[in-house]
Amino acid sequence: MAFEDLLNDPVIQKYLHELVGPTGMPVAAAPPDGEVTDEELAEKLDLELNDVRRALFILYENDLASYRRVRDEDSGWLTYLWTFEYENIPENLEDEMYRLLDALEEREEYERTHEFYLCEVCSIRFEFGEAMDFGFECPECGSPLEAMDNARLVEAMNRRIDELRDELNVDVTG
Amino acid sequence: MSASDAEADLSADERAGLELVRRSGGIHQSDFWKELDVSSRKGSRIAEALEERDLIQREETVYNGHNTYYLQPATRDLDFSLLMAGDMLSPFIGEEEINARSDAFSQWLMNLAYEEY
Repeated sequence: MAFEDLLNDPVIQKYLHELVGPTGMPVAAAPPDGEVTDEELAEKLDLELNDVRRALFILYENDLASYRRVRDEDSGWLTYLWTFEYENIPENLEDEMYRLLDALEEREEYERTHEFYLCEVCSIRFEFGEAMDFGFECPECGSPLEAMDNARLVEAMNRRIDELRDELNVDVTG
Repeated sequence: MSASDAEADLSADERAGLELVRRSGGIHQSDFWKELDVSSRKGSRIAEALEERDLIQREETVYNGHNTYYLQPATRDLDFSLLMAGDMLSPFIGEEEINARSDAFSQWLMNLAYEEY
């Protein structure tokens, strides 16, 4: 099996699982060395050919696998020879860290600049304006809406934003 | 030696060079020394020093008809666990669009605030 170092990282396992789902995971978790056909994989892993193909195409869409087509001289049929390209995983996850940082920064500003009210029965959160429109009563159950302190949330976001900026060497002034 | 150790004892010029390569994402050596406002000889020494410490990658190339090098930031070993909140991975993975107010992201943030920290 190739790329064992990468596959030992629990975050990378989780990432692959997120992409291909539980049925595709046997394919994603055991990349062979060199080229392989979908049929060989299905036989080796004892999986439905369709599940193998589905997983391979998801990996392909995420730059984690490539294929070349060759024509079988006897049957005239096209065979797909697949190569796993997991060396691209770190770059993909680096992009995801930037995307997460963007979302955190946007959400942090929203949380910091708005007031929220909570229905403790239904666990539904309302912005101040919405809560006022409802007369500070939950539209679902009629319970009074209570002012909600999101300081802990904002603090946690700021902490992760700092950690991500530090890790990615993002210039704080830039 | 980790990347941050390798960075710790860089000279001011080398540090500026590393920042330029990282900021540009990739730059030809012939532009590198001009941008840094140093001589081509000095620019070359800086690039070599950064390559030696595995902070950048340096590949021979032809650019504007001249032989030069293309300088790129080295792939760094990043701490991917920063994508996690509790046992939940960033909800933007596999999604085209980022929605900072999605329910999935709210759940991730609750995990962050009440499980992680």
